[in-house]
Amino acid sequence: MSLSFSKGLTRRRLLAAAGCAGLPLRAGAATRFAPIAEEDLLVGFGHTSPVNDGGWTQMHDKAIRALKDHFPRMRSLYVESIPYSADATRIFRQFVAEGAQMVISTSDYGDFIKDVANQAPDVGFLECDGNNVTGNLGWYYITHWYASYVIGIAAARLSRNGRLGYIASFPTTSVIASANATLLGARSVNPEATMRVISINSWFDPQAAASAGAALIDSGCDFLCGIMDDPGYLRVAQERGVWAAMWNTDMRQFGPDAYVSSVMLDFVAYYRQTIEARIAGRWRPAGTFLTLGHGVDRDAWGARVPLAIQREADAARDRMLAGWSPFTGPIKDSKGQVRVPAGQTMTDMEIFHWNWQVEGVSGLV
Amino acid sequence: MTAFLPLVLHALAYGSILALAAQGEVIAERAGVINLGVEGLMALGAVMAVLAADASLSPWLGCLAALITGSAGALVLGLATVNGSANQTLCGVALTFLGLGLSAVLGHAVAGLPVSAIFGSWSVPGLSRLPGIGPVFIQSPFVYLAFIILPITCHCLLFRTRLGLSLRAVGENPAAADAVGIPVRRYRLWAVVTGGALAGLAGADMTLSVMPVWSEGMIAGRGWIAVALVIFCGYRPVFAAASALLFGLVMSLSFFGQAQGWPIAPAVLNMTPYLGTIMFMILPALVLPGMRRLMAAPAALGIPYFREER
Repeated sequence: MSLSFSKGLTRRRLLAAAGCAGLPLRAGAATRFAPIAEEDLLVGFGHTSPVNDGGWTQMHDKAIRALKDHFPRMRSLYVESIPYSADATRIFRQFVAEGAQMVISTSDYGDFIKDVANQAPDVGFLECDGNNVTGNLGWYYITHWYASYVIGIAAARLSRNGRLGYIASFPTTSVIASANATLLGARSVNPEATMRVISINSWFDPQAAASAGAALIDSGCDFLCGIMDDPGYLRVAQERGVWAAMWNTDMRQFGPDAYVSSVMLDFVAYYRQTIEARIAGRWRPAGTFLTLGHGVDRDAWGARVPLAIQREADAARDRMLAGWSPFTGPIKDSKGQVRVPAGQTMTDMEIFHWNWQVEGVSGLV
Repeated sequence: MTAFLPLVLHALAYGSILALAAQGEVIAERAGVINLGVEGLMALGAVMAVLAADASLSPWLGCLAALITGSAGALVLGLATVNGSANQTLCGVALTFLGLGLSAVLGHAVAGLPVSAIFGSWSVPGLSRLPGIGPVFIQSPFVYLAFIILPITCHCLLFRTRLGLSLRAVGENPAAADAVGIPVRRYRLWAVVTGGALAGLAGADMTLSVMPVWSEGMIAGRGWIAVALVIFCGYRPVFAAASALLFGLVMSLSFFGQAQGWPIAPAVLNMTPYLGTIMFMILPALVLPGMRRLMAAPAALGIPYFREER
């Protein structure tokens, strides 16, 4: 808990600092990332959990493995389970010392990676879920909230009582966006729908996720969703005969009857483009959102989800693919205050930094 | 009552883990050896249970693997501290780190995957059909073992048999025990091994019954809580089981409270098991000053025995 809290502080301070500095791109950035031969390229990947975690890191690792087919002569190395501590700085520095020209961190390491990036201006750094753009550091993230919204529509139709349960890790902005988007999707078809959140202080803890899932079902929820790397609560949903939607990957084998869908991640195309750009000397640090259908999407619907419900949810997905945003006012927070006025649409950046829960969500912040 | 039934069921399941480990530790500490490796032995037991159950498709063999692993780990500790007279605190902590690290390596391939063979629930004939509280009597074999079979067996063994008397003598005054012909080192070694076996079994309880999946760090301090419970329960097996149940209840409060929407921050609710540990350590001493003598640790706890110093 203390980790995420200090992370939040760091992020805020960084943002403020970035705002003051006006993010000047240093001259010479253009020559810094000169074209490089494929066999000379060394890319270092830093992961927050084991590569076989069954979720977030596994999806990144899958994309990295796919890179080897496209760039067989490129060399890469990875370190898994990097803690959010000074150890992270040491590991990223090690990548630089090994001679890496690109360092990609698949999770947000804030200052720990920024310090290393500042000291190695000729090395390109990318941080997933990051917030900093400097002369050699950029970030990328998925706009998972659109997929969550689609799943939310199905959730409201499948739930008998409109009570959704959400198993959260920490009350960070990504988690808030995910929970909010799911309930907004649900409320678009059932305005009475509510969501109860339990935070278990971990991204990967099957025991706690299962306990939280069971507690939510006991309190009357009949649709579980969340943001976990493991299928813990899906198994509980299967046993107790309720529905469940997952994150990261297709987990239907762990609860075929309960499985509704999943916020599916796919970094293959993005990593390929990034490496291509770096080899060609075109890579520049920037903030990139991977949009619906291009890195994030809902998974193929579960076997027991009725066709009519699939069609209804997919209709919203089609509209979003055509450019429509469901995150349009009026949107109220859980205290009943209008936070997004009627007619105004939240930008992806605003959703990325969502720090309040929408009306109907309880227990998150 | 029905509203709190989920809480009780959860407490029984999670409490059984603590009860098994704590009762094993009671046996070891009664003989004068403090085993701080419980956390590591639980982690090893948990992962070996999964690997064996996956390979053999039998939860019983998984259980056996956990028992053997726990015993073997404790045997190492026993040989070092009892026969080698090494520092018990240091060796115990080393065993914890060894167990946590080794289990992470062994379990890397099965992390997050469901276990192939697990224990189902056994119902008590008659009682399980009682209205309202029936589900309390439909439990995994571990729960019956932890809360009924083991407390009775351990209590009778420790306080009603000559073997138990000798074991306690070894923990209180090894020199005197030695003088009347009790083999001190053999008693201590067997007590540590038995305690280790139960710690391994507690790990198996987690992965083969309570939540059938292995993940790194899943023991999450339960081994340390078990060690704390032993002090809290005054080195008595029946009290150890009872306080484990109480603790299971405290641990369940976090999820139950959040699901019920109690106006307490989730961060605070998630702290309850650890706050509870501190509270339980302080409260008895404050409330009943006379308890201190009654609940005292075995006099020779943690002190290696040298016959020459008699």
